[in-house]
Amino acid sequence: MTDPAEVLAQQITDRVVELVVNALDVNDLVARVDLNAVLSGVDFDAVLAKVDVNTLLDRVDMDDLIRHVDVGAVLDRVDANDLVKRIDMAALVEETDLGAVIARCSGGAVSEALDALRSQVVGLDRFVDRWVSRLLRRKLPLPSAPPALLPSQAEP
Amino acid sequence: MSARTRQAGLVTYQGHYAGSASRFAAYVIDLVVSTGVFTLVLAAISYGVQVVAGHSVSWNRSNIVVAVIFIGWQFLYFGYSWAVSGRTFGMAVLGIRVVRADGSGLEPRQGVVRALVFPLSFLLCGLGFLGILVQREHRAWHDLIAGTAVIYAWDARAARLRFLARQAELAPGDGPPTGYHTG
Repeated sequence: MTDPAEVLAQQITDRVVELVVNALDVNDLVARVDLNAVLSGVDFDAVLAKVDVNTLLDRVDMDDLIRHVDVGAVLDRVDANDLVKRIDMAALVEETDLGAVIARCSGGAVSEALDALRSQVVGLDRFVDRWVSRLLRRKLPLPSAPPALLPSQAEP
Repeated sequence: MSARTRQAGLVTYQGHYAGSASRFAAYVIDLVVSTGVFTLVLAAISYGVQVVAGHSVSWNRSNIVVAVIFIGWQFLYFGYSWAVSGRTFGMAVLGIRVVRADGSGLEPRQGVVRALVFPLSFLLCGLGFLGILVQREHRAWHDLIAGTAVIYAWDARAARLRFLARQAELAPGDGPPTGYHTG
């Protein structure tokens, strides 16, 4: 059986705590706490080292999480052009079946001959341009394309 | 950055002003094709006349009628091609096309005007074509008059992918050879 004195003490303590808490402005109290000082004292590496990320992830409903992600907003922040520029196309084609797919989809000997011919002639174009610019002592670069086709203006 | 990465990062020239070699090569192809077609048609007419009338017809280059018809055919060949698609057969082979000076699509009227003023560039020993070499936008006289420009229309990046794909298929495990211009 519980000691009546102990019960009384418990009730008094509860009441006192309730009165103190009600008397305190908790928001004001929190506002006075220097969180930066508190956080600077925390060793996050040690905390994270103790976290079992796999267990944590097991408890996360990834499907639900992804449903909450605004993919459009994420993609808007991605610079697709920069992303594409970073891709090593040669390695991609060489190391995947992409090369075979492209080769099968892109015609045969005629396409190959045209690519080679155009490539060579463009090389000749560049060679002639360089010499003409040298002879004319051009210092400023020439416009590369008509205004509507310049990359910065052609893109939306 | 590896050499291979640098190669992959090369930009395409699609949409850039076409150079003199491409344009000259396209014109040579067009000249051969249009003259070849004209000659074939004349030969077919000669054969038809011989079969129907029983006497042969000989076409002489100095014949004024033949010369006028040939000039008319040249106008038709170039004017129609530019008005309809902005490119002739030779230009399609070289992957170049005619656009308006600002880069937008060519209007049929401009294609016809370009064909009409095209002979002007031949005046004074072809002085009008000098613009293709020295003018900042590679525009000849007929381009300046018609308000047109010539650009690369083929996708060099796609061509390079095809090239790499073929190399990968031919020699799996070996790196692609160098020396392929991306135009």
